[in-house]
Amino acid sequence: MIYDMTPLQWLSHVIFHPFEGYEDMRWKKQGSIKISMVIVFFLFVAQVFKARFGGFAFNMRAYSDIFNVVPILVQSVVYYLTWVVANWSFCTLLDGEGNMKRIAIYSAYALVPYIIGSILSTAVSYFITLDETIWMTALSQIGLWWSVVLMISGMKACHQYSFTKTIACMVLTVIGMLLMLCLLVLIMSLFQQVWLFFFTIYTEIMYRVRS
Amino acid sequence: MISVTRINIKKTLCVLLAFLMTCSLMATTVFAEDPCTSYSYNAWGKAVPSQNGYLVKDTITGKDMGLDQLSDPESPLFVSEKEPNALNDAKDFFLSSKNEFYIVDTGNNRILKTDVNFNLLACYKTFTGSKLTEEVVDETGATVTREVTDLKAPYGIYVDNDDIMYIADRDNQRVVKCNQNGEVITEYTRPDTELYNSQSFYCTKVIVDAAKNVYVICPAVNKGAIMFSPSGTFVGYYGANRVEVTAEVIKNKIWRKFASESQRATLVNATPVEYANFDIDSEGFIFTVTEVANVSTDAVKKLNPAGNNILELTTNAADLKFGDQETVTYSGTTYQTRLTDITIGDNGLINILDYTSGRIFQYDRDCNLLFTFGCDQEAQKSGFDNPNAIECLGNLIYVLDGRNNDVTVFEETLFGAYVHEAVELFNRGLYEEALEYWREVAKRDGNYNMAYVAIGRALLNQDNYDEALEYFKIAFDDEDYNRAFEARRKEMLRDNFTLITFLILILVVIMIVIGYLKKKGKIPQKLIRTFFKWLGTKLKPLADKVITAAKGGKKK
Repeated sequence: MIYDMTPLQWLSHVIFHPFEGYEDMRWKKQGSIKISMVIVFFLFVAQVFKARFGGFAFNMRAYSDIFNVVPILVQSVVYYLTWVVANWSFCTLLDGEGNMKRIAIYSAYALVPYIIGSILSTAVSYFITLDETIWMTALSQIGLWWSVVLMISGMKACHQYSFTKTIACMVLTVIGMLLMLCLLVLIMSLFQQVWLFFFTIYTEIMYRVRS
Repeated sequence: MISVTRINIKKTLCVLLAFLMTCSLMATTVFAEDPCTSYSYNAWGKAVPSQNGYLVKDTITGKDMGLDQLSDPESPLFVSEKEPNALNDAKDFFLSSKNEFYIVDTGNNRILKTDVNFNLLACYKTFTGSKLTEEVVDETGATVTREVTDLKAPYGIYVDNDDIMYIADRDNQRVVKCNQNGEVITEYTRPDTELYNSQSFYCTKVIVDAAKNVYVICPAVNKGAIMFSPSGTFVGYYGANRVEVTAEVIKNKIWRKFASESQRATLVNATPVEYANFDIDSEGFIFTVTEVANVSTDAVKKLNPAGNNILELTTNAADLKFGDQETVTYSGTTYQTRLTDITIGDNGLINILDYTSGRIFQYDRDCNLLFTFGCDQEAQKSGFDNPNAIECLGNLIYVLDGRNNDVTVFEETLFGAYVHEAVELFNRGLYEEALEYWREVAKRDGNYNMAYVAIGRALLNQDNYDEALEYFKIAFDDEDYNRAFEARRKEMLRDNFTLITFLILILVVIMIVIGYLKKKGKIPQKLIRTFFKWLGTKLKPLADKVITAAKGGKKK
């Protein structure tokens, strides 16, 4: 095999070779952070697509409700960022070889099947009836599990772990993500309180000044 | 001087204009306002304004009924000088098959019989022939035992087709079966069996089925209605509610598995709530309502003779909801639906009275909400304080109020008539016949969700799929949309079958040709590449133009 490929060719090589693709990429020191950023953006797009499009019978909410982008943003971009940070924090302590950039790239590449699967299943829902939901489910499930397999082998190659250690680290990473999100919410509410406090002082002073 | 007068004229003109405007505004607001604002629920369960299906026609007090005659010695209906001429905390009334009203005047311990326009026909105060006795202190101070003649806080009444009255005489703990002359035929008292484990028999409501079996509700008994045979023997319980599954019930059930005998005794038993009221429809099905607030399990039931709830079977709906869907908190008080009475009208319309809000909810026989109307005290004319009972006849609905001591008559509006006509045809499956009525309904009330579903189904029956899809979209009806979609897709495939097969054939041929050429290595890759290059050179200036235009636009 000849390994002089363009970054996009590397991406497809990784996706279609779940078991040795990442090892090859690591050996050749390939992977582009720009493409990763684009992929994460498309993750967000896919989530929006899932929320706002689809056949009427499958996604009635898309045709009525007010659209709030914040939860979708959290579910895509924020989850990805916390995943990368949590994974890096745990795996540096547990003798992982990957650095932050590599974790970010490998994780993003693993997301591609999931993105394609969810976009395809949403598109398919325009052509099928409720009895044929199985096609939609099949598409999204295939995408999801493909991504899971890619993610496991990506993390394994990235940190040069054994299989069991990879799984353990991924579970730890998920726990870390939860912790981080919890802390984020705490900090945000705290800052809200602080902001409110200063704002009240400001209004009070303004009343005094004016009167 | 001139300028001053000019200003004055301007000022007066302004004032006049303002006055006129306020006058006209006031006039419009006064005439446009309706005492009760009606609403229905959209596909997401949110309340949206709706047209009134019923409006208050009249309120009738005791005086209007002619209760003065009871204390007038010259009248044939004279009872006594002191007989009150108003209702007092009336708990129930009943419309008999001969269209006569029997009003249970609980506070005055009497039954009033009126005609359909509430003109007094008779008053029943004493009943002869009772087997019960009571001890009374007479004038000399001695206790005397005598036969029970008076009613003591009667709570409910039923009158069968032979004009035999069944009165739930609550504080005497009996149900009296008597004829029109006030002679007691049978009395139903506390059953003397092991099965009946309540000490008292404070009965509140009574109904009788076609076989003259008597069903009695006692609020202390939660096993269902107490059922008596025509002769007065206890038969059993009928149609108990189920226990609502709450977190506490589940917790107790799990805990019970591990607890010891003595611990188990201290645990609270999961008991169902009793139902408050019932009504029997023309087909002999008994409808019950549960008055306890915040109960969703078995709030309204339709019972077959075996006592099983068949409402979910007959309506094909898994999750039926009755009453207000949103709890309202207003100045510290939370208002929750308490369904106090139910009556079944023509065409199986279900009318439910909500004690809390004083509203009447009308459902069709498939339990789709048709109208809400009536309101509590805050509004003027139809404000209810203690709405106790509801009856209906034709296009009229009567509500008895125990605090205001009057009967309010609601009359169907034109909009209501359209809806009823449409619903009747719709429920019989005559979608196309109902179409014109539904179009009229949709014209009058754009929020009426059911109209869009019905119009859509009619259009679907006429194979007008595209329009049907539009209507189902408006109504947010996914299942009907799905059916219409399936039909349209099938039609589309059938119409374009030749085209589709042709395209597929062409695609297959192209694939085969490409495969063949590839195998032979005869694909003119150079030619293709030059073609794309040529296309690129042609397209590049165009793209540049667009980019520069966009950039220029941004700069401006």
